[in-house]
Amino acid sequence: MIIKNPAGGRLYNEYIVPAVFIILSFLAWQFSGLSGSFVFNQVLTRFIRDGILVLALVIPVVAGMGLNFAITVGAMAMQTALLVMIGYRIGGIPGILLAVVLGVVLSVLLGYLIGIILNRVKGKEMITTIIIGFLFNSVYQLIFLVGFGTIIPVPNTDIILTRGIGVRNTVDLGMYRNTIDKLWLIKAGQLEVPLFMILLVLGVAAFIFYILHTRFGQQIKAVGSSTPTSEVLGIDAKKVRIKVMIISTVLAALGQLAYLQNIGMFDVYTAHLTNDVIACAALLAGGASIKSAKIKHALLGVFLFHTLFIVSPQAGQNLFNNAALGEYFRSFVAYGTIAVALVINVRNEDGYKVS
Amino acid sequence: MNSYKLRPPQVIISLFLIILVALSYTLQMNLVTLFNESMVKMVMNGVLVLSLIPMLNVGAGMNFGLPVGIVGGLLGMCLAINFRMTGFYGFFMSLMFSLVFCALLGWLYGLILNRVKGREEIAGTFIGYSFIPLMNYVWTLVPFTNREMLYPIGGRGLRPRISLENYFNHILDDVAVLKMGGVEIPLGLLAFFALVSLFLYLYFRTKIGRATVAVGENESFARLSGVNISRTRLTAVIISTIIAGLGICVYAQSYGFVQLYDEPLSMAFPAIAAILIGGSTGKKTFIFEAVLGVYLLQSIYLLTVPIANAILIPELTEILRTMITYGVILYALLVRERQGRSIDY
Amino acid sequence: MEDLLTITQLNKSYNGHPALTNINLSIKPGEIHGLVGANGSGKTTLMNILFGNPVIQATGGYSGEICFEGRRTAIKNCAEAIRLGIGMVHQEFALIPDMTVGENIRLGREHTQAWTDRLFGCQYSFVDRQKDYTAAQQTLNRLWINLDVKLKIADLTTNLRQFVEIAREIDRTDLKLLILDEPTAVLNKRDGLKLTEILKEMSKRQIGILFISHRLEEIQQICDRVSVLRDGRLVSQYKKGSISINNLARDMIGHEVNKAAAAKRAIAKQPVISFKNFSVRMPGEEINSLDLDVHQGEILGLTSLSGHGKLAVGYGMMAMYPVDGDVYYQNSRIARMDARANIKKGLYVLPDDRQGLGIMADQSLEDNVIFTANQVKNKFVRKSALAWLGFIDRVKSQKHVTAMVQDLDIKCTSVRQAVKELSGGNQQKVCIARALTVDPQLLFVAEPTRGIDISAKEKILQMLIEINRSRNTTIVIASSELDELKRVCDRIAVMVEGKVFKILPPDSSEVEFGLALSGEEGADNEQL
Repeated sequence: MIIKNPAGGRLYNEYIVPAVFIILSFLAWQFSGLSGSFVFNQVLTRFIRDGILVLALVIPVVAGMGLNFAITVGAMAMQTALLVMIGYRIGGIPGILLAVVLGVVLSVLLGYLIGIILNRVKGKEMITTIIIGFLFNSVYQLIFLVGFGTIIPVPNTDIILTRGIGVRNTVDLGMYRNTIDKLWLIKAGQLEVPLFMILLVLGVAAFIFYILHTRFGQQIKAVGSSTPTSEVLGIDAKKVRIKVMIISTVLAALGQLAYLQNIGMFDVYTAHLTNDVIACAALLAGGASIKSAKIKHALLGVFLFHTLFIVSPQAGQNLFNNAALGEYFRSFVAYGTIAVALVINVRNEDGYKVS
Repeated sequence: MNSYKLRPPQVIISLFLIILVALSYTLQMNLVTLFNESMVKMVMNGVLVLSLIPMLNVGAGMNFGLPVGIVGGLLGMCLAINFRMTGFYGFFMSLMFSLVFCALLGWLYGLILNRVKGREEIAGTFIGYSFIPLMNYVWTLVPFTNREMLYPIGGRGLRPRISLENYFNHILDDVAVLKMGGVEIPLGLLAFFALVSLFLYLYFRTKIGRATVAVGENESFARLSGVNISRTRLTAVIISTIIAGLGICVYAQSYGFVQLYDEPLSMAFPAIAAILIGGSTGKKTFIFEAVLGVYLLQSIYLLTVPIANAILIPELTEILRTMITYGVILYALLVRERQGRSIDY
Repeated sequence: MEDLLTITQLNKSYNGHPALTNINLSIKPGEIHGLVGANGSGKTTLMNILFGNPVIQATGGYSGEICFEGRRTAIKNCAEAIRLGIGMVHQEFALIPDMTVGENIRLGREHTQAWTDRLFGCQYSFVDRQKDYTAAQQTLNRLWINLDVKLKIADLTTNLRQFVEIAREIDRTDLKLLILDEPTAVLNKRDGLKLTEILKEMSKRQIGILFISHRLEEIQQICDRVSVLRDGRLVSQYKKGSISINNLARDMIGHEVNKAAAAKRAIAKQPVISFKNFSVRMPGEEINSLDLDVHQGEILGLTSLSGHGKLAVGYGMMAMYPVDGDVYYQNSRIARMDARANIKKGLYVLPDDRQGLGIMADQSLEDNVIFTANQVKNKFVRKSALAWLGFIDRVKSQKHVTAMVQDLDIKCTSVRQAVKELSGGNQQKVCIARALTVDPQLLFVAEPTRGIDISAKEKILQMLIEINRSRNTTIVIASSELDELKRVCDRIAVMVEGKVFKILPPDSSEVEFGLALSGEEGADNEQL
């Protein structure tokens, strides 16, 4: 019995994808003519907006469940919490704290539910999480577009559409804006470094690092590497997988909070929609695969992916005189990265098979 | 069909349909018009739904990469419009062009899917998703010259909605319409639908068709019997893609517009939901199930619009549609995996 | 001394088929207890029960009593077995391939930082990797193994994995009973000796050991007691000093007197197929450089303990797994394995896994029978201008299948009945009917009577003989049912570790077969 170990294959994933992103971003940046400090500030902003969402994906990958497209569910849980706070006019620090508590409670429940569902579809987790995300989106729309103002009374009529039913498309987060965003802002010339938020993202990274280095973390790795074997070794794989989904969903909820408060207002029905794809693509851009992801992949990936994301429309404008082409390039990169990862990874997986 | 069983989604959907019909009756809508429309809607979406069958039966799962075939069809139609081919000739040539494009795209798509065996659904989803922005480049840059299909301003790039008014709008819808009182039965349209169904029916009775079903049901068995698995799968994917291309042509002539850019993205899920409502569980599927499913789902879609408008929440239509669509797909995923496992033990 | 483990009146059956019947067994602390038995004797079931494998609960549990350290226990899952202090060295290795040696050895017992222990409980406490690695290294040193604990399991050879698996169990301070499932199967002689040393050392520390092996010599050397299982019953037990390899071999096989179903005859030694240096990499059933000639017109039996490669010969010919080496069929070399080409040449395989490989359960009996002949040899195609599309001539196929149903006595309501509705025996007949429709010259049959009730078994064996005699089809039967092989075969090849160990005539004695199956060259030189 020989185990093929394509060390080359592993290298391939870890460094080729980030290298491609670096080259593409550099070229696009050159053509865009944007200033370095502008790009840097923008990327840093995206880092604090999206960082936690990307980090939320790491643990499910380690647990062998693939990319968790259902992080949108966590995002929706937090948006629900925020809308409830705004709808009942609970502002300021108590409001935001209450929103966090409610968002976390909701996402624990939803994460538990998703975990149970995924335990029934082993091997098809990714497509299932996509469908779960879409389905919850419909439920979410039903609640806020139809339920709010009809079955659920809302005192704050400012956020309700003029017809009296349903929440407006855009809701201002004025009462929470910049509560933590501008904390410890360091300015160096044109560069702005929001130190507190960066530390917050790194704090979440540290939390994931910690989790993965506990006994529980070892169980996650074991389940991810070989579920049947881990069961023989006395690990309750189903329980581990449910816990993993709860952690991922809660982190996604917190990530969405960081995202929304940074923007300062939110599109009730669209703010969460493409977050999953962008976060997944960012994780893969950092060198992760569907089978293995590390924290460094997430942190590096956010930078690489968003650099390309920021410069490509301008580069498209300058190159082809058509900004739309840059937009298409952006979506192509986001979806294409995931598609390539799905096709390539299956091949690598075959290479690992006992032959 | 002797193994046909009613499953929960069908029961729920049928009950829902009955409630909707009752509701529209009390709201004093014209049920005859709705019935006429339902026939058109069934065929309009039905060919796309039929296109899923070969891939389901070969075991490649639900074709979430349906946009690939749709894009092939769009290319075919655009080519026909560019050459100003009108009427029946235009529609026929659209179908022919689509066939060529789809065969090529299906071949590439099939080669990729053969590499991701067991994960066709998730891979197909993202192949479809990433193919759309790639095609957006084509729509923007392709050197077509017919002004009716280009952006009015600038004269470059195809417009997102190309009207078929002067080409082959309703070309099938209006053929041999049988009128009985208020009831109108579009015989031509139904005949085309029947033709595609017949083709599929015959395909599964050919040698390669039987191999297709065998691969889908028990791949190891087929391999032990000397069936070339990759080639069989490839053939099934190509046929699925070609029928999807024809399907979008039928859809467009009913709808009156060719919709480009991001439009194909949203078409896969309702088609899949339809075939699941018909009784498929994401494995072997009968043509009958596709027809039943698409009729049920499209009738519901049709009925929800006026009703939602009547109760003043127009968004409700769309929400209900998506809830049904994704709910049914999730249900199928759950049920299929459970069945799969019980066979394993 | 009080017993560590006592099993009384243990019974277990799968779907009404008894797997274990009235087993009474006890193990003392520090005792090395050997367990031998042929395939299907119930060894695996017994181990699964003791280690709480979920399969047992899923198939209805067991009856009887298990006492561990004097307390009656019901072991529901592996976690519980581990908590009780039971350890297991798995034949298929329960190691996590993506983790390092050190992590695997310490999995579930990691050293953690004391301060986080107090904060979050030990489950969520930070692991002290360095301390773990040191401890793992020490355990490996105790086994006299020089291995870097930071290597990943995926990068290790099978030999080393076996030792890591053992190290994981030895590392446990709470280990009271260790079950070893064929631990020496993958080891060479020298490493095997090393293992026996380790086991002896463990027994000195009062750890009870249940040692399952097919190497009778080893059993004889190290075990304090040996139990022999046959057909789910405990047939004999020997104490150290009275263990004889001959007795073990005889007890394993049993004394079933059977009339040969087929008369003895002389077969010309003209090979129809020759394997030279033939390897098939079928996971868990590998063949390594097999050399074998199959003679024209004979029925050759292939037998071995499970995992020694008897099943892989046929599947290798159908290119189901990667193969290596040379095969000469009717004096011409088969250059590339290709199922379709080989079926055309006249080979065919009746698979052992009927549900997985043998039938299309949802399709009709008729479609199942004609499938292969139609796909490969274009039989039953309707003659017309559209013949290239291959529509079936239903009149012809129905006539053929109806005749087959009568010939083979397949119980069904009609030829359009779905195969999944038939009984196991009738499904097997459908498989045979399909083989006959293909009309092969060389037929590989794997486990033809598995999961079939007794009366149907007889019929199927008769059928195979009939096919051989009337159609002059050469048949190779791979089976673990030795007495069945003895009744139908002209020769029986016994395989050990993927090679032919010995070819015996069917009327050889039980002892000879028992010894050959265990890979023992001769009988005991001296009766101990």
